[in-house]
Amino acid sequence: MAMTKQEKLDAKAEKAYEKKHRRKYKLTTGDIIFNILNYGFFGIFTISCIFPFYYIFINTISSRSAVTRGEVLFYPIGVTLKNYLDILKVDDVFRAFGVSITRTIVGTALMVLATGFIGYLVTKEEMWHRKLWYRFLIITMYFNAGIIPWYMNMNMLGLTDHFIAYIIPGIVAPYNIILVKTYIESIPGELEESAFMDGAGYLTVFWKIVWPLSRPILATIAIFGAVGHWNSFTDSLILMQNTPKLYTLQHLLYNYLNQATNIGAAMNSGDSAAAAAAAEMLNNKVIKYTVAMTSIIPILLVYPFMQRYFEKGIMLGAVKG
Amino acid sequence: MKEELSPREQTANKLYIPLRILMVLSAVLLFFPAINPALMITSAGQAKVSGTASLFTCAVSYGSLTDGLNRAFRVGWISQGLFVMLYIACVLLVLGIAAAAAAGCMSAGNRKLKNLGNFIAVAGGAAQLVGSVLILVFYFLMIDSADMSKITMRFPNAVWIYIVIGVAVLLLSIAVMILVPKADKGEHFAIESKYKLFLMIMPFLVLCFAFSYLPLFSWRYAFFDYTAGGEISWDNFVGLKWFKILFQNEAYTKRLLTVMKNTLAMSGLGLLTSWLPMVFAIFLAEMKSTKYRRFVQTFTTIPNFISWVLIYAIAFAMFNTDGFINTLLQSFGVNATDNYLGGNSHMWLKMLAWGTWKGVGWSAIIYISGIAGIDQQLYEAATVDGAGRFQRMLHITLPGLLPTYTVMLIMSIAGILSNGMDQYLVFTNAQNKYSLEVLDLYVYNLGIGNGDIPLSTVVGMMKSIIAVVLLFVANRVAKSVRGENIV
Repeated sequence: MAMTKQEKLDAKAEKAYEKKHRRKYKLTTGDIIFNILNYGFFGIFTISCIFPFYYIFINTISSRSAVTRGEVLFYPIGVTLKNYLDILKVDDVFRAFGVSITRTIVGTALMVLATGFIGYLVTKEEMWHRKLWYRFLIITMYFNAGIIPWYMNMNMLGLTDHFIAYIIPGIVAPYNIILVKTYIESIPGELEESAFMDGAGYLTVFWKIVWPLSRPILATIAIFGAVGHWNSFTDSLILMQNTPKLYTLQHLLYNYLNQATNIGAAMNSGDSAAAAAAAEMLNNKVIKYTVAMTSIIPILLVYPFMQRYFEKGIMLGAVKG
Repeated sequence: MKEELSPREQTANKLYIPLRILMVLSAVLLFFPAINPALMITSAGQAKVSGTASLFTCAVSYGSLTDGLNRAFRVGWISQGLFVMLYIACVLLVLGIAAAAAAGCMSAGNRKLKNLGNFIAVAGGAAQLVGSVLILVFYFLMIDSADMSKITMRFPNAVWIYIVIGVAVLLLSIAVMILVPKADKGEHFAIESKYKLFLMIMPFLVLCFAFSYLPLFSWRYAFFDYTAGGEISWDNFVGLKWFKILFQNEAYTKRLLTVMKNTLAMSGLGLLTSWLPMVFAIFLAEMKSTKYRRFVQTFTTIPNFISWVLIYAIAFAMFNTDGFINTLLQSFGVNATDNYLGGNSHMWLKMLAWGTWKGVGWSAIIYISGIAGIDQQLYEAATVDGAGRFQRMLHITLPGLLPTYTVMLIMSIAGILSNGMDQYLVFTNAQNKYSLEVLDLYVYNLGIGNGDIPLSTVVGMMKSIIAVVLLFVANRVAKSVRGENIV
């Protein structure tokens, strides 16, 4: 990961500090034992966090016969992309991947746009009953009616078994509104004022000034929002009960892992021989790993970008209104 | 500077209040299936025609208006032409209400905008009235033309609501149209900025209302004898029957007790180990190598961003019958074929382990930044005074992190009933389902799995109320401990 200038300076200062102190205090035996244990523990724990992903990955790129014989343990054998090509042929996986990608992109984009705009509006003191509306939005973080009333409500609004049920409920996100509002409040007001002097309206000021200036916080909520969308599974499970073609990738994987719906895949391809072959294929554990891997890879791809926003992101759990 | 209003305009402003309320009311009513005059056929032949679409849905899609009637059309029990007309009436009604709502927004503007708004409101009110009267007319036409031996119909009582509102909106908007004076020639459309800002945020308030407040209205299912796909009406109102059943019926009470035991056990184990992230951060900070620290931090955070389904996929790959552990043992010649994910032993501890593995790296971040904020001079001073490593950890780092820890602990005590259901759902199998069923999962199993909407609503409702109370208590406690609100 690239270090910023400040971080580089910090590291340098730290090293100089260590050097100075190493001369002053020699490591005692106790220190050495402590360090071995400490470094060892963190090393093992870190490996436990990496190895499962690596293990799944090498299984998916190894030849199937090697996996069946139980030879693939620490490195791939007979490297092949056959598994990945095979799952492309399963309509269900392909479609679920599409649903997940679409909801992630569209859902996140709308959420960020709306949150930016709401965050801007609630900083405007002159709004009619501003405090009341702000509280109205924020208080929803602290209660919820429960999952069944929520489901019945979605049912009542006619959103069950529709794709938009993934998107619309997530547009107003109170946590994120607080983050954006706090950030916008820290932007100096002069720019905005001068724009108003020039006759700009609220929309222009928001779009031309506030939006570009709050990019760091918007990027934070975008990336956390996207991960949330990609990982969400309960809403697919509850809202799409009658519409398997709208299952998200996570939901599909859950079904595969439970071996419940291999018939579903089989029914998609018309003739029974192909159906049997498809069902057979999905029963293979390596195919399950491959589906899992396709759903992990996007997260791992955005992960390096996410790290930059951890400090702000952790606030997601610890902010106050 | 406020302009002096003429008495006529003052009267108009007073009339605007009920008018706006009616506009909002009719717009909200559109989304309630129970108040949908367009669904007037209850059954066709053997088939029961489901009535779950709202008027808005019906006006958007013809398909949901004629849901379940295709056979009736084919056989000729009802004329399809009449339904097309009914659909047009629905669209007219909905457009009228939408226009009236837009006019309601305009009424916040200056005179010129008000003039335009009043004109639209009159048109909208008229459309609403015509639409709802047409629906009534088609009802009678349908009774005449349909094959009544096959078709059963009910009188759409809801149509009266729309007719009454339509008449009221029409009369009131004609009144304000007369009362509000014409705008001056040179006037431009304008709204005072306080109302403008409100109108901008209003769509989001509506969304928030629809998905966060409106579900509270579904708590009503707790008091009715409702079965999935059915309807609720005063005929199947049962009062507190489900509450009584939950606490008096032995089977339910027993299951609820097990569920509570699981919930509190898992939350309790979580609370008992809630110091782990803090200790993780403290020991991580003891490592001198920045690179190594960064490496550890980077990779121990990843599992937090992986969904529980994928965590289960990982568990599956490692601990299944032919997973990593068994394959490894077999390569040493051990005959290992255990499925570590099956069975019902130590489920609580296993869940705790998975939860910790997934979350500890991420939860540690807040403490890591806390440690970075501790004054380095404290450490230097302590070292000069002869404090060892552990003494510094115990007397400087730990006290520096305790306020954060306290807040985190109080928050997790407030969330003691909410374990979430994802983790327990994915790890559930036939053997362990009773030791993994926490409250959230129980509600899901009861409501979605068994289709027992009323009872699961009762459970969810009590949970929600207790959770809010706990949160308030936690906030009080935090305030007295730290002198600051956490909510």
